[in-house]
Amino acid sequence: MDDRLRETLSAMMDDQADELAVRRLLSRAGEPEVREQWQRWQQLRNLMHDERRDLATVDVSNAVRAAIDADGDLPEREEAGTAASNSARRSLRWSAVAAVSMALLVGFGAGAHWSISDEGRADTLTAGLFADGAGNDEAGSAPKVPEIALQGLDDEQREQMSRYLLEHAQHNSVGMGYGSMGYARVASVSTGLR
Amino acid sequence: MKPVTESTPQSPSESQTDKQLIQRVKRGDRSAFDFLVLKYQSRVASIISRYTNDPQDILDLTQETFVKAYRAVERFRGDSAFYTWLYRIAVNTAKNFLESRGRRPRGSMEAEEAERLDSGDWLRDVATPEKLMQREEMYEAMQRAISGLPEELRSALLLREYEGLSYEDIARILECPIGTVRSRIFRARDAVDRELAPMLSAD
Repeated sequence: MDDRLRETLSAMMDDQADELAVRRLLSRAGEPEVREQWQRWQQLRNLMHDERRDLATVDVSNAVRAAIDADGDLPEREEAGTAASNSARRSLRWSAVAAVSMALLVGFGAGAHWSISDEGRADTLTAGLFADGAGNDEAGSAPKVPEIALQGLDDEQREQMSRYLLEHAQHNSVGMGYGSMGYARVASVSTGLR
Repeated sequence: MKPVTESTPQSPSESQTDKQLIQRVKRGDRSAFDFLVLKYQSRVASIISRYTNDPQDILDLTQETFVKAYRAVERFRGDSAFYTWLYRIAVNTAKNFLESRGRRPRGSMEAEEAERLDSGDWLRDVATPEKLMQREEMYEAMQRAISGLPEELRSALLLREYEGLSYEDIARILECPIGTVRSRIFRARDAVDRELAPMLSAD
C-alpha cells in the first residue's frame, strides 16, 4: 500500500477524506494490508482515550466475519429488497421483452414485407437477444431471463402486443411506410409506461 | 501541548465515511462491514462491559451485536448516526442476555448515557493484572512516541485526537494549508504506529 493510499486511510479515520478517494480506497478494502493498517490506527486511537483504553485491542472482527459467513450471504433486508427489486425488474423486463419482440417482428415483417415465415425468424432473434444473460442488469447479478417465445405470452402480454400492432399500423400510416424505425420509437416509449 | 483526556475525539454527528461504508455494505460488500467492525468494536465492547463483567460474555455479545447489525443494516436509514444505532443494538443485546440469564441489568442505562460514562472502573475489575500491565506499557510507549514527534506533527495529531478539531480548524490554528494538516496527521500516525506495531500485534 503506497503512502497516498495510507494518507487517504488516515483522513478516512477522521472523516475528512473525499468521496472519490474513499471509493478508491474501499475498492481495495479486501486487502489484508489495508485492513490491518485501519485496525492498528483504530487501536492507537482507542489507546489514546481513557474510556476505551482497557478494551483498545479487543478484536472480534474475525469472529463476526465467520458468523456472517456461516449465516448466509446477505443482510436480511437486502434479501427482501433484492426480491422486491427483482420482481420489479421482472415486470419491467416483460414489458421490454414484449416491446422488443414486437419491434423485431414488425421490423422484419410488417414494416414492408410481413409474412408468416418471418414471424418465426423474429422469435428466434428475440430469444437470442435475451437468452445470453440480461446484459442490461446492474452488476450482472440478476437471474437469467428465460427464453421468450411468442406462444408463451399470457393474455395481458398478447393484449399489449395487439396494442403495439395497432399503434404501429397507425404510426406507419403517418410515416409513409417507413414502419420499422417508427415502430421502434413507439415501442421504446411504451416500455416506460408499463 | 498537553492532551485533554476528557474531550471526545470524534463528533457524534453523521460520519460521511460511515455512510459510504454502509452503502457498500448494503450492496453486499463484506469488507466495508469489516471496516465498521474494526472501527467500533472497542466502543461496543466498552458499552457491553457495563452490563456484564465476564470477559468471554463481553466478546460474545460484542460479536452478536455486529452480526445483528449486519443482518439489519438495510433497516438503517441514516436518521441517526450509525454508531448511535449500533449502540442501541449493543445495549439491547446486553439487556436481553442478562434477562435470559435471569439477571437484571445494572441499572437501566440507555446507549447515549452508557457512552458518556467512563467504563474504566468496571473494566479494571475484569482485566487480569497482566493484561492491565501490558495495556499500561502500551499506553506509556504511545505517549513516548507522541512526545518524540516533531512539534508540527505532534500538534496536528493532538488537535485532531484530543480536541476533535476538523482539518479546516487545525489548518487555521497552525496557519497552514489543509493538505499539510492531512499529511502531518498521517505522518504522525505512521510514526506512532511504527513504534507500537510490535506491541499491538503481540497483544
